[in-house]
Amino acid sequence: MLRMTLAVLRKDMTLTLLRGSGLAQVLLLGLLLVFVFSLSQGVGESLSARNAAAVFWLSSAFCQVLIFNQLYALEEINNSRLGLLLCPAPIQAVWLGKAVAGIVLLLLAQCIFLPATIVFLGQNLVGPLKPALAILFLTDTGMCALGSLLGALAQGQTTRESLLSIVLFPLLAPLLLAGTGIGAQVFGSVDPDGPGAWLGLAAAFDAIFLGAGLLLFAFLYTGDE
Amino acid sequence: MLELDRVAHSYGQTLVFRDISCKFGAGSVTLLLGGNGAGKSTLLRVMAGLTRPSFGTVRFAEKSGKIGHLAHSTFVYPALTALENLTFWREAYCLAATRDEMFKILERVGLAARACDRAGTFSRGMAQRLNLARILLLDPDVLLLDEPDTGLDAASRALLRRELLEARGRGACVVLASHDIASDAPLADRVLLLENGRLAHDGPPSPFFPPLAGAEQACCA
Repeated sequence: MLRMTLAVLRKDMTLTLLRGSGLAQVLLLGLLLVFVFSLSQGVGESLSARNAAAVFWLSSAFCQVLIFNQLYALEEINNSRLGLLLCPAPIQAVWLGKAVAGIVLLLLAQCIFLPATIVFLGQNLVGPLKPALAILFLTDTGMCALGSLLGALAQGQTTRESLLSIVLFPLLAPLLLAGTGIGAQVFGSVDPDGPGAWLGLAAAFDAIFLGAGLLLFAFLYTGDE
Repeated sequence: MLELDRVAHSYGQTLVFRDISCKFGAGSVTLLLGGNGAGKSTLLRVMAGLTRPSFGTVRFAEKSGKIGHLAHSTFVYPALTALENLTFWREAYCLAATRDEMFKILERVGLAARACDRAGTFSRGMAQRLNLARILLLDPDVLLLDEPDTGLDAASRALLRRELLEARGRGACVVLASHDIASDAPLADRVLLLENGRLAHDGPPSPFFPPLAGAEQACCA
């Protein structure tokens, strides 16, 4: 399973970053969101830390939808999905490979979104760094585990993109709350409870989404047209 | 090697076929005939495990997991080179072929000179040759071919038939869905004819070879 996972990951990274349109569309959408929110401030004003963190995660969530549409569309060009289904390894390898590819691409996008949030929304990185990195990892993992599962669900549907976003966003709400909660602390907001509860919430939903991905993917990613 | 037991399939209320029972042995070529919409492609997908039958079971005598499926779709990633495509499928199928072996396979299908060209620059026939290379790399025990020569030139068709016979020689179980009775019936050990959702003929290819006008009309109507 690991070998097939790595094969899918390597192929997806090559096709997306080196041979495809790359992250241009993803970055453009995320940066546009940050920029538009920056227009809501008057001269010399800045968004509150919580609002800025929410905008950062909103950009990330929209990008994640585009990323998984792009990743699963790769298999539809010449019906390669059928070839993957005939592989002897468990089909969950495809889910895992695409989820990891999604995490890498999302992290790359966030490397651009974070400075943009700081610059356009007038924020400073003043909070604790370790919880910030932990929540980034936990939230991205949960988002991509779920995105990879629902990306498979949306394949072959004419309403693919809307189906993915309609189903995905409500399910992502707890992770986005956790990400925003700790993000606000990183941007200087004071939370008497600290980051512990948010990290616990994100870890719990990660476990649920990872379990759901492993259990359900084989039922969603099939050869049926 | 492969056995269908009272297999039936329907899309919603539309019955495609029913009560299909037959066995496919090693080292055999079975020609699957039927008109458009008779259910040949669906039956091959059911045999490959890509579509779950509505009723009945598909059994493999040896659980090797090596099933080759060659159809209209080429399974090719256009932005990868021919060699990168093969390398990906080698990894996905967990095979041990070396780079030299993959080059030899590309030579067999006449693509060695284009090994480092992107598959997106290939014609339909060349893409199908690359798909054939994927099958040769896999060396499957069960080879399911769904009108694989659609859009191929004469040389590519000859190559396909040569490889098909070699696969039979290696002991593979080959099932070929085709409309080209004149060319394919001589290759077959057995012919199955799907008609009106049932198996109308299961036997030697002699009634279809040389192709009789009546039989051809029955199949391709």
